[in-house]
Amino acid sequence: MVKINIDGQELELEAGTTILEAANEVQVNIPTLCYLEDLSVYGGCRLCVVEIIGEEMLRPACTTEIEDDMQIKTHSKKVREVRRNIFELIISSHDIDCKLNCLTCARSTNCELRDVGEQIDMQEMRLDAIERNYVDDSSSHSIVRKPNKCIACTRCIRKCEEVQGVGIFTKANRGPETVITTFKDRGMGNVDCTNCGQCIQACPTGALHESYHYNSVWHFLNDSSKFVVVQTAPAVRVALSEGFGEQPGTVATGQMVAALRRLGFDRVFDTNFTADLTIMEEGHELIDRIQNDGQLPMFTSCSPGWIKFIEHFYPEYLDNLSTCKSPQQMLGAVTKSYYAEQQGIPPEDIVVVSVMPCTAKKFESVRPEMDKDVDFVLTTRELIRMIKEFSLDMMNLAEEPYDKLMGTSSGAADIFGASGGVMEAALRTAYEVITEEELENLDFTAVRGTNGIKEAEVEIGDLTLKAAVVSGLGNAKELMERIEAGAEYHFVEIMACPGGCAGGGGQPIPTNQEIVEQRLNSLYEIDKHKSLRKSHQNPEIKQIYAEYLGEPGSEKAHELLHTSYVVRNI
Amino acid sequence: MGDVSFLERLHNLQDTYGYIPEKEIVSLAEEYDVPKAKIFGVISFYSMLYTEPTGKFIVRVCDSLSCYLNESDDLVRAVKDYLGIGHGETTEDKRFTLEVVECLGYCGEGPVMMINDKVYTYVSEKKALNILSNCL
Repeated sequence: MVKINIDGQELELEAGTTILEAANEVQVNIPTLCYLEDLSVYGGCRLCVVEIIGEEMLRPACTTEIEDDMQIKTHSKKVREVRRNIFELIISSHDIDCKLNCLTCARSTNCELRDVGEQIDMQEMRLDAIERNYVDDSSSHSIVRKPNKCIACTRCIRKCEEVQGVGIFTKANRGPETVITTFKDRGMGNVDCTNCGQCIQACPTGALHESYHYNSVWHFLNDSSKFVVVQTAPAVRVALSEGFGEQPGTVATGQMVAALRRLGFDRVFDTNFTADLTIMEEGHELIDRIQNDGQLPMFTSCSPGWIKFIEHFYPEYLDNLSTCKSPQQMLGAVTKSYYAEQQGIPPEDIVVVSVMPCTAKKFESVRPEMDKDVDFVLTTRELIRMIKEFSLDMMNLAEEPYDKLMGTSSGAADIFGASGGVMEAALRTAYEVITEEELENLDFTAVRGTNGIKEAEVEIGDLTLKAAVVSGLGNAKELMERIEAGAEYHFVEIMACPGGCAGGGGQPIPTNQEIVEQRLNSLYEIDKHKSLRKSHQNPEIKQIYAEYLGEPGSEKAHELLHTSYVVRNI
Repeated sequence: MGDVSFLERLHNLQDTYGYIPEKEIVSLAEEYDVPKAKIFGVISFYSMLYTEPTGKFIVRVCDSLSCYLNESDDLVRAVKDYLGIGHGETTEDKRFTLEVVECLGYCGEGPVMMINDKVYTYVSEKKALNILSNCL
């Protein structure tokens, strides 16, 4: 144990503790910019400098480990002045010249530079802004990068490389010319980016945001010749309320449906419905692969970040991917066929919008294999903007139900928003379909939680089903290495984002492990309190098979609900 | 490659090809298990490593302080006019790439110009044009 004195408080802590961590022990949150939990420590921004009695130089709290008898001042006069100077230098390279940038910024309500400015009592700005005039990177269908707002903290680089195992970003050049960019400045749309959006969650400023679709959605909401349908993903209902000041995990399903009707959507459907449909198709596919010596393990295909990851890095495993489209794409496909026929609406007059916790869904919707099932994809954050622009007091709206035909869902569908949810939903259905017996305990707790890699063996009749559940692409990489080394599974669920869709790149900022866990708990609560908890018992699912699709895996189902993948270069 | 450092590998590739081709970056990325973006970042940090082909002759003219006091600005202008290109550009015939650089380490003998590996000191405009016209 190491004895220190920090801001007058005597403390004894384990060796290896940093000054930043030690300060937290005495309720002092030293300001930081480049530091982010779960990432390696970079020590680049220097905002966290502290004074150590007896030393002339200030030292960064994030990289300095405590030593015996260290006397630390985290907020001496010298420290506070130096911090202000450092911050002035940092923001002079940020696009902060007064063109009302802050008001129009993606991060107008949650910019960390503003937080720091408040925290250190920024009183003056003596430096002119450096105009760097970089061109925005709009090459990606999912994410826009604005290098002029970048402060080179490298959190995006570290998130992409360390958590997601991808690494599309780098620091290029040297000294004041240093810029964060992609390989050969090609842009995010032209490199091996998976579009997961975790970089947005890591960015302290407005240098990264999703490619906006909401202006196009407003356009079609105002076009009376169009029938505009919206669908909402499972993880949105447990996160949307955060945009309206609620505690993370506050469920707002009915309020969200009401708000969407107020915005002018003609029908509000639930992506949960097609999550149940996915279970029917994917469950059927899994049983077929197991019984007929098909390619195993079968990988889930709901997460478009994971799809692009495997296409880039493990294309030799594309035959292991379920051919099922994701629930988002399935809902678009059945809206423009089944629903259009039922209602007598020409499919070309229908505009399908989806609200997703995800940025990769934007890319997925424009994949040529998808045939324009979905026209526009809004992130949870974009929907928050739209509801705010309509000045709706959303949390006080009377709750409304989803529209019929594609609005009913099981609890199994709700948990699609959690890592392990697709697996659990599939097991509930597969068990009853294979054994023709009722499943007594519906909760497969082994596949729940935020652990990056979870494994389980489940007895289904004579079969011991070996399952793995993975979230975060860095963990996906590790699992693929295990498989290459000989690990055997029947079924593997992989979600690109840590914790699953609840921690998606399109979710409200901040999204961190604690907040993700609160959202996950709410999803399991929703499931627990539903009377309908198995996908195959959903009456609207039974209806769509009876009236339109025939059987799971039928020719019609394949035409509408299944897809193919492409090999991409690294 | 034994104990050869990563930077030496990059220098060797630069010497072999005159630049570091993408296929070599990709195989280095696989070998070292690092993202290729990161290798690009390293290459871009160093002035004498390139990711695109350069001209046959890389002309570096110094414009930092002591050369400037010896009127390197006239030299820079003369070289630009003669080659018809600006900083960082390559002539259409792929013969010359021009770089205006900070310090080549001969501050007492400025203005200084370097062509590929050879350093020229006390370079007047006339001397520069003479040297360049002999680069064939």
